[in-house]
Amino acid sequence: MIQHLDVDGVPTLLAPTGGPMHAGLTFRVGTADETLARAGTTHLIEHLALAPLGLADYHVNGMTAPAFTTFHTQGSETDIAAFLTAVCGHLSDLPVARLDVEKEILRTEWSSRGAAAMDEIPLWRYGAQDFGLSSYPEWGLGALTADDLREWTARWFTRENAVLWIAGERVPAGLRFALPAGVRQPVPAASSVLPQTPAYFVNGARAVVLDSVVRRRTAASIFAGVLERELYRSLRQDAGLSYTTTAGYEPRGDGYASLRALADALSEKQDAVLGGFIDVLAKLRVGRIEQADLDATVAKREDSLSTAEVEAARLPSYALNVLTGEPNPTIDEHRAELKAVSLADLHEVAGEVTASALLMVPGGHTADWAGFAAAPTHSTEILQGTTYSSMEGNAALRIGADGVTLLRTDHPLTVRYDDCSAVLVWPDGARQLIGSDAIALHIEPTLFNLHPAAIPAIDAKVPDDRQIAMPARAPDAIPQPKAVVRQPTKPANSTWWEVPAMVLSGVGVLLVGGLSVLLTLAMLLTETEPGEEQLWGAVVVLWLLTVILALPIVKRRRRRRRRR
Amino acid sequence: MIAAMPAPLPAPTFDAGAAYPEVNDLHKALDAADWPAVQALFADRDPGFHTLLVGEAGDHIGAAAFLRRVYDEDPTDQLAGTLLGTHLIRAGWRIRSAARAQHVSRSQFDKFHEHLRRAEQVLIDVTARYPDDADAWTQRITLARGLELGQNEARRRYDRLARHHPHHAPAQASLLQQLCPKWSGDWDRAFAFARECTQAAPGGAPNAVLVAEAHLERWLDFDSEREWAAYLRDNPVADEVMQAGQRSVLHPEFVNRPGWVWVRSTFALMFSLTEQWSAAAGQFRALGNLGTDYPWAYVDGAEGFTKYRAKAYAKGGQS
Repeated sequence: MIQHLDVDGVPTLLAPTGGPMHAGLTFRVGTADETLARAGTTHLIEHLALAPLGLADYHVNGMTAPAFTTFHTQGSETDIAAFLTAVCGHLSDLPVARLDVEKEILRTEWSSRGAAAMDEIPLWRYGAQDFGLSSYPEWGLGALTADDLREWTARWFTRENAVLWIAGERVPAGLRFALPAGVRQPVPAASSVLPQTPAYFVNGARAVVLDSVVRRRTAASIFAGVLERELYRSLRQDAGLSYTTTAGYEPRGDGYASLRALADALSEKQDAVLGGFIDVLAKLRVGRIEQADLDATVAKREDSLSTAEVEAARLPSYALNVLTGEPNPTIDEHRAELKAVSLADLHEVAGEVTASALLMVPGGHTADWAGFAAAPTHSTEILQGTTYSSMEGNAALRIGADGVTLLRTDHPLTVRYDDCSAVLVWPDGARQLIGSDAIALHIEPTLFNLHPAAIPAIDAKVPDDRQIAMPARAPDAIPQPKAVVRQPTKPANSTWWEVPAMVLSGVGVLLVGGLSVLLTLAMLLTETEPGEEQLWGAVVVLWLLTVILALPIVKRRRRRRRRR
Repeated sequence: MIAAMPAPLPAPTFDAGAAYPEVNDLHKALDAADWPAVQALFADRDPGFHTLLVGEAGDHIGAAAFLRRVYDEDPTDQLAGTLLGTHLIRAGWRIRSAARAQHVSRSQFDKFHEHLRRAEQVLIDVTARYPDDADAWTQRITLARGLELGQNEARRRYDRLARHHPHHAPAQASLLQQLCPKWSGDWDRAFAFARECTQAAPGGAPNAVLVAEAHLERWLDFDSEREWAAYLRDNPVADEVMQAGQRSVLHPEFVNRPGWVWVRSTFALMFSLTEQWSAAAGQFRALGNLGTDYPWAYVDGAEGFTKYRAKAYAKGGQS
């Protein structure tokens, strides 16, 4: 059984463990509570709180998730007490002397992490806000000051917004938390930028990924296991199209859960993986769910509930439920829920999965043929304003009182100032406006015939705290309009004899042509005497000769025209 | 001696009802919007005949509203879904026309694709509910081609079908089209697939028609008279067409099961083109005046049929 205690005003969970003692302090705050222009705040604070403990001889770790931040340690009772005291001490009095160093470390962490196929999903579903922010770089780092961080910790890293959990015999004696008082913070409301679902978007990754949002319940978590088995069987075992097939279920903290699945693909088999994936979803949606898959998934969960460590193992997720006010069933209740899951329950989950689905498809493919709507990649609104043409002639930029529209040959992009999550600001004048709907409108001043006051006009409309200063770019990184391609003036491939041939031909045409004209005129103006009829023959011959002499010139001109 | 006037040969007909009376019953049932009668006609048919009847129902122009209503009443009905899906495909293809892509307008393509997407979504459900439905998978192979979903996706669909029906010739013929260069395939794969289907099927089965079709498609793909003639004069081509014939229509165990008119028509044409007149005459005799749109449409339809039949009887003998 998990004991509920109160330690210095912090709700505390205690469960026995046969292994080494470990503990975690979790706060109800994460990246989803931030804004795009301040993205990275929570992660930076997490790093600062742990930084002075970097050389501790016991295990310490921190993790910033969309809705939670956790500090974790494993060691002796004394170590754990020292860790918790230190972390809380650092949170209430941030070691800001390390601010710049930790910012650099975070930038390095971002740039060295491998891009995962799933990374882009949140922004396509939620936009450049709340749960979508985990798709973006930590653009807020640069501008964050010590005062910004203190303001953030005072609001979020409070006693009331924390839960401590300990796997071990007892709570270390005399534990005190130097945390400020505050309130328990609700989980942020999840936005959606998908006008309709099921939807799809295209990504260059060689994988098909499903993202869905379902009501949180045991049947939904079992469904993830069933889906994984079905994907494995049809895409890997039977068809040999995929190597990795996974599915996962993660509560969001607001009564809903993200249910995701992935199947990777060889570059030449992506079409078949997409088709096979869609057929797997269809099979489950029409309710053809294998009892064996349900049984196997339930059995696996039951196994994990039967281990001696079960209570200690579920402390972290138990703590999250305490923070969000969601129920925490007992192990027996959980077993009963597992047993009660029926094929009909799974069929119902399958319906929710399909209805809310966002499918990531490989480059060059679509999913409209299977009934998935294209997720928005452009705006529907075009704003009024001053229009500036592109130097390459293929676009125009319209800057108005309410926002900016980029008119392109296909569809427009619009970001309104009052709906702008952030503007990236480069010293060379380039700007990128990012709407809350994740539409990114990039402006390169070198590519438009802009009035010098145009960019400052945009800057003036977007509040300072949404402007993100970007590092200067190397001159060759700044795009230049493509030079207009000129036809070479010197005719290509002309041979040595062409010019003399043309001259001779020209002279010949002039001489013979002139003679033909004169003779023709003379014949027409004077009456034809008997016996002069053969002169008409001479006229015809002369004209023929003129034409023949002119041929090289005509042919050559034609040839040149074709070359263009 | 008085030369006997040969009796004029009957004009060819490509109407499936002439070969299979059930087809006429089906059209009547569709005209009467009589669903139980339609169901009864499909009951207990072998998969080849089933697919043939599905195609006929799909081509029945006036049946759209009826099939939609039956489907809407019970979207889980296997036959209703298959017939509606097929009907949408055929209607879409009529809009597109059989012309090469560069001769099809933007709006034609949009409507064509819209029909195919609707058909696909109906048939996704049919194959999800009934994974062994040969008709629905056959139509989905055609859809993969029309929607340009990719070579591997078409093959995956065929493999799903072949798991339950390893020798389903209509599906094989549909995949063969996809494997041809005109649908972004290549000849190596097209011929390999045709030969593989032929080898895998028992002697006397119709599947060797795939080899004849592959040669027909290869021949049609040439651009000049010279290449056409050269290809047909090539001995290995004629030999392989003959071997394919011996494995199917010339095999002692070959019987005229539904679909036979298409199989014999293809061999009659390919024997004629490769100037194996006696074999061609044999197929024409078996056909009488029966034919199918494919392959005769490639050689001016009835005109081509009549021309090659006359040549085959003249050069190959009519007994």
